[in-house]
Amino acid sequence: MKDTRRTRMVLGGLLVVALMMITVDYRGGANSPLRGLRDFGATVFGPVERVSASIVRPVGNTLGAITDAPGERRRADQLERQNQRLREQLRSAHLDKDRSAQLERLLGTAGMGGYKVHAAQVISAGQGFEDTVTIDVGSSSGIKPDMTVMSADGLVGRVTRVGPATSTVLLATDQTSSIGSRLEDSKEIGITQGRGRRGIGRGGDTPLRFQLLDAAAPIHVGQRIVTLGSQGQRPYVPGLPIGVVERIEKPTGGLTRTAYIRPFVRFTSLDVVAVVVAPPKTDPRDAVLPPKPSPTATPSPSTSPKASGSPKARPRGSKSPTTNPTPGE
Amino acid sequence: MLNPPEASPAGRIAVTAVVIAVTLILQVSVANRLPLPGGVQPDLVLLAVVALALVAGSMTGMVAGFLAGLAADIVPPADHTLGRYALVYCLIGFLCGAASAEMDRQSVVPFFAVAAGATAGTVLYAATGMILGDPRAEWATVSSMVPLQVLYDVLASPFVVWAVLRVTRRYERGERSRGDRLAVPAARYRAMSGRGGNL
Repeated sequence: MKDTRRTRMVLGGLLVVALMMITVDYRGGANSPLRGLRDFGATVFGPVERVSASIVRPVGNTLGAITDAPGERRRADQLERQNQRLREQLRSAHLDKDRSAQLERLLGTAGMGGYKVHAAQVISAGQGFEDTVTIDVGSSSGIKPDMTVMSADGLVGRVTRVGPATSTVLLATDQTSSIGSRLEDSKEIGITQGRGRRGIGRGGDTPLRFQLLDAAAPIHVGQRIVTLGSQGQRPYVPGLPIGVVERIEKPTGGLTRTAYIRPFVRFTSLDVVAVVVAPPKTDPRDAVLPPKPSPTATPSPSTSPKASGSPKARPRGSKSPTTNPTPGE
Repeated sequence: MLNPPEASPAGRIAVTAVVIAVTLILQVSVANRLPLPGGVQPDLVLLAVVALALVAGSMTGMVAGFLAGLAADIVPPADHTLGRYALVYCLIGFLCGAASAEMDRQSVVPFFAVAAGATAGTVLYAATGMILGDPRAEWATVSSMVPLQVLYDVLASPFVVWAVLRVTRRYERGERSRGDRLAVPAARYRAMSGRGGNL
C-alpha cells in the first residue's frame, strides 16, 4: 500500500533532481550555477544560526568549562603570573618616563604584527567530513572571500563564502586546505596541508602536515612554522604562527620530507576569532610567534626590570623600536 | 493536548518542516561543536529523517529526506558538492518508510531500524564522497570515521526518535479519528510512541 507507483515515481524524480544538482555543482566548481542556492541558504539560515548560537553559548561554555577544567586552572595560573609581571612593568614605566614612552610605542606597534582585524564569533560547524565553521560577521561588516582568519594563538583558516550576516571559514585542518608556509629563522618554504581534525589516530594531535620544497633543507622537531603570505596577501597574510613540528617522517624514497605539525590553535574548541581585513604593511617575519618555551633567550640587559614580559620581544624591542613585540596572550 | 489542533495534511507538513529545521539548526550550532572523543559527531538530521519515515511512511520519508538534505547542503558552513545529502537522505527516507510498512511492532525493532538507517546513511554519504573524488573522503579518513559516527548515531537515536514521536503524536491522533486510510500507520505509530514515551 505504501510502495505504490506514485511513490516510486516521486522517488525517481527526487533522485534525478539530486543527481542533477550533484553533477551541475561538481562540474561548475567555484562558479557553479547553484551558487545562488547557497547564498539563499546563508541568507535564511545565517540569522537563525546567530540567534541559536547566542542561546546555546552558555550551555556550551558550561560543558567546555567541565572538560577544560585542568587546562583552565593552568591557564589561570599563567595569567596570574603574567598579570604580576605586567603590573611590575607598569610600575617601572610609571617611574621611568623614557621607558613609558617606549612601552607605548611597543604597544602601538604590537597589534598582532600590524594586522588590521575584525573580531568574530564562531556560531556553527560543518557536518560530515568537512572542517568548516560559520562566523557571525558577513558582507555587511566588510568581509570578503579569501580573507585570512586568525585567533589569538595563530592561523585559523580563510573565508570561503560570505553571506549578509555570516561567513563560512575553511579551517587550516581541512583536507582541501593548503597553505604556503615558512620555517622560523630560515628561508625554507613549504606547504602545510590539513589532515582533518576528525577521526581517531589520523588527526589527533597533529592535524597538519608540512612538506618542505627543498628535500635537503634542515628541519628538526620543535621548530615553528609561520605563514609565508600569498600573492597580494590573499588568502593568507604573512607571518601568522601555524604550529610546531611534532615529528618528521623519514623519507622512504620520496622527494620531499613530511613533518607533522601540532597547531597553536585548538581547532576543536574555536570561539572568538578575527578576520584580517587589512594585511600588514611589512612582513612581520617571526615577530608574531609566541616566545620560545625553552628559556634560552633570557633577557638580562641591565636596564630591564626584574621580570620581563616576553623574553623574545623585549631585547629586540629595546634595541630597535620598530620591531613588533609579541602580543599578550 | 491542551488544545488539540486540526487534523490536516497542512498541519502535518508544518510539523515535519519544523522538526527538520530545528534538528538542522541543532546539528550545526550544537552537535557539530561538541568536543566528543574522536572528533566525530552524530548526524541528528539523518536520525530525524529516519524517525519521520518510520512514523509516516515512505512518501513523507523521502520528500522530507530530500528537503532536509537540500537544507543541509546549503546551510552556511556546508562546503561539499550540493545535492549529496539530498540524495542520501531521500534514499534513506524512502527505504525506512518502505521498511516500516512490514515492520513488526516488537519492542526493540524500531530502534534497530533507526540504527540500521543511520548506518546506511552514513556509509552512503561517505560513498558519494569517494565516488566524486572528494579529497576529504579518502579511504583512510572514511574507515576511521564511519564506525565511530555510526556508534554515536546509535547512541543518539533513542533521544531523537523519542523527540520526533513526541512532536508528531498530536497530529497522528487527530487523523486517526477521521478513520481514513491513515488509520494503519497511525496505529503503528501509536504503538511506537507509547513505547517511546516510556523511555
